[in-house]
Amino acid sequence: MSRQFSILVFLLTALFFALFFLWPIAETLCGAFVGSDGKFTISYIAEVFRNPLYLEGLWNSLQMGVWSTLLAAFIAIPLAWLSDRFLFPGKSLLGSLVLVPMIMPPFVGAIGIKQILGQQGALNALLQDIGCLNPAHPIDWLGEGRIWGVIVLTALHLYPILYLNVLAALANVDPGMEEAAENLGCRGLRKFRRITLPLIMPGIFAGGTIVFIWSFTELGVPLMFDFTRVTSVQIFYGIKDIGGNPFPFALVVVLLCSTVLLYVGSKLLFGRDSYAMMAKATSQGGPRKAGLALGLLCSGLFALVTFLAILPHIGVILVAFSTDWYQTILPNGLTFSHFEAALGHNLTLPSIQNSLKYAGLATILDMVLGVAIAFVVVRTRLPGRQILDVMAMLPLAVPGLVLAFGYLAMTQEGKPFAFLNPTIDPLIILVIAYSIRRLPYVVRSAAAGFQQTSVTLEEAAQNLGCPPLRTLRRITIPLIAANLLAGGLLAFSFAMLEVSDSLILAQKQQDFPITKAIFELSQLLGEGRFVASALGVWAMAFLAVAIIGTSLILGKKLGAIFRA
Amino acid sequence: MIAITIENLVKKFGDAVALSGITLRIEPGELFFLLGPSGCGKTTLLRNIAGFYIPDEGRILFGDEDVTNLPPYKRNTGMMFQSYALWPHMTVAENVAFGLEERRVRSADIRQRVNAALESVQMGQYRERKIAQLSGGQQQRVALARALVIRPRCLLLDEPLSNLDARLRLEMRSEIRRVCKENGLTAIYVTHDQKEALSISDRMAVLEGGRIAQIGTPEQVYRRPITRVVADFIGETNFLKGKMQSFDGEKAVIETDGGPFEGFLGDPDWKPSTGDEVILSIRPECWSLRGEPAAGNAVKGRIGESIYLGEVAQYILRTAHHDLKIFELNPHLSARCQGQELFAVASAADVVLLKP
Repeated sequence: MSRQFSILVFLLTALFFALFFLWPIAETLCGAFVGSDGKFTISYIAEVFRNPLYLEGLWNSLQMGVWSTLLAAFIAIPLAWLSDRFLFPGKSLLGSLVLVPMIMPPFVGAIGIKQILGQQGALNALLQDIGCLNPAHPIDWLGEGRIWGVIVLTALHLYPILYLNVLAALANVDPGMEEAAENLGCRGLRKFRRITLPLIMPGIFAGGTIVFIWSFTELGVPLMFDFTRVTSVQIFYGIKDIGGNPFPFALVVVLLCSTVLLYVGSKLLFGRDSYAMMAKATSQGGPRKAGLALGLLCSGLFALVTFLAILPHIGVILVAFSTDWYQTILPNGLTFSHFEAALGHNLTLPSIQNSLKYAGLATILDMVLGVAIAFVVVRTRLPGRQILDVMAMLPLAVPGLVLAFGYLAMTQEGKPFAFLNPTIDPLIILVIAYSIRRLPYVVRSAAAGFQQTSVTLEEAAQNLGCPPLRTLRRITIPLIAANLLAGGLLAFSFAMLEVSDSLILAQKQQDFPITKAIFELSQLLGEGRFVASALGVWAMAFLAVAIIGTSLILGKKLGAIFRA
Repeated sequence: MIAITIENLVKKFGDAVALSGITLRIEPGELFFLLGPSGCGKTTLLRNIAGFYIPDEGRILFGDEDVTNLPPYKRNTGMMFQSYALWPHMTVAENVAFGLEERRVRSADIRQRVNAALESVQMGQYRERKIAQLSGGQQQRVALARALVIRPRCLLLDEPLSNLDARLRLEMRSEIRRVCKENGLTAIYVTHDQKEALSISDRMAVLEGGRIAQIGTPEQVYRRPITRVVADFIGETNFLKGKMQSFDGEKAVIETDGGPFEGFLGDPDWKPSTGDEVILSIRPECWSLRGEPAAGNAVKGRIGESIYLGEVAQYILRTAHHDLKIFELNPHLSARCQGQELFAVASAADVVLLKP
């Protein structure tokens, strides 16, 4: 395509990134490093590390990140390995179900888990019924160890990202590599440790980095558990006085630096996309049929993990259907009234509309930007294209919380972007926030499409008289349609259930998207959590359709989208 | 039918010079080959002609029209790609119709011309197939039909046969020549397969490091290579070292380690003087083996390995200074045993003298 056009695309996307990615971060940095006298200071940052409350928050955040990631890896790697190696009963169904947890923001699940594990919850009721527990002294499963509730819930939400990454990495391993090891006498677990694991390490770290950054800065779950001593929640509450208080800025900067350091570090350490396999697989690898016992074990394991992971969501569904649920194993009665209430409440219908509007516009913006960036990166030789590529991936390294905070900071009164302030109308800033965060997925899937589509297919069209833009429409876009559809669906579903941007940026009730409506409803006494759950179930059903559709289109390639 | 003129074409990729001053004229209706080892610039030259690269210097003319800066979609060339580049989301007929649709041809005409084009490459019954359902040879035919149906000003072929098996390659190369000649097309054909070039080209250019080493008919290039690289690349040959003894403007006498040789200069512009170092290129099939010594143009050696191929036998003749490769047609292998002492003789007309 013509060089001018490529340069134009390059400049426009670079400008967009400068304004809505670098600027908010810069604004945050300013708030953290510029004192009230207008001079550079590190006293705010230093104060963060002196204040025991902030230190505890950081320590808890770190624990949240590390343990959630390890737990997610502990769940995901064995599952992926089994799925890569064996055919077992119900595999295709179980393999899809195991991805389901990804579709719900875990903070909705928190309502359900509280219902199950709370002092008056289902588990205690069960234990009392079978006589293991004295009703006078119910166990508070989430009391002291509340952080473990957060960790388990986060891990159960995020393990599919690792699972997909590891599965993709395993699928890429030439079976000949393992056969060679066996031929030389290395078998079983030892072969896995010495050959397979090193070969899939880049995949594990690519997924692990995303899981860590996600859980390290998770806002919704600790908020729902009333677990306030983590940095993300401290920032959330600090936003109320964003005008005068520099410490939220300092906290955000500390979070940002930690994640960026980690991202860059893991890129440098494990930067290879994957080991190049020397040759095409000579033997047909593929999973083999497992024996009866092993097959049942596999199926059982998949079912168990899925069950545990959707337990919170089952809780949510039950809550949504229950007339009342207190000190019993199952709800006391079932009703549809909450669903009606959910659709009738003055928060809910507008919130669904809002979410569709924000997510829809964000997806369109993502598709346009994503195709343009992927095109410049893959198809042109512009000198700056690698910068664009790196830039488009950076939103993965920057937590949503940080960006949302930055948007708020850059639209304060007196700033150049004050006209975008979300208290006036959050539409533009929310759409931008949603789209920036999802852009990496769309760019990655579009870039994969461009890479898989040989340039000569485009050249052949031009040779036959088709100008570049029409070539894009008639040849390239149809050929990469599956990739675009998948990336778009994914961007859309994630935008629909985006948490941190929504909680922070939507400030007036009539502007709330679904997630903020659920959060606000759940904080209401009385019917609140039932209606919130009902709204959650609506969203869940909706997203399930989107994700299953995506995975059907992309198959194993789905994993490639969730890479850092 | 148009002539294609290339004037002093230069193409650089960063610091690497891919083409350094190519000048070439391809006559109307000619089947012209670009030949050379990989990295010599032959594909780069073809892509400049197709318009996928814009040269840094120089001009490209189609007839009298300067197309140097014309984008590829305005050049009206038909190109066959090495990978065929057939679009997998379209049927055979849709692929072939594409170029006509881009030219806003009426749909009734499109149907008729597509059918005719597919018939002419014997693919009429595969009209509705998807590309993935075709074999390599069938894909090749569709790609040819797609390039021809637009009635291009010239046909550009980028190693079109390299993905086919040997037998199909033989069949398709005469097919390509037939189609070009029937349609009176000027065609430029890039290959690294010298057999393809020798068998069907009108003329060929051998490229070497971004320059044209030699242009000529197959026989000229084969029998009178200008440089060592050309001699080595086209066909097989033996190189012998020697010193110029005398040169009468046509025939030269060279003193080699094995004795005197008479031969002709490969490069007609070369004016060597007595005592200059010279390389002799003598092809394996130009030697004849005999038992008794000859006055000149001969070396003595012993038979080393021999390979029997039926119609021909390949020997290694170990002389005092070289191992020579010698082909003998209609061989009687039983008469030649390993270690046998023989004389290899080449006639002066088969000895080409080259710059070292």
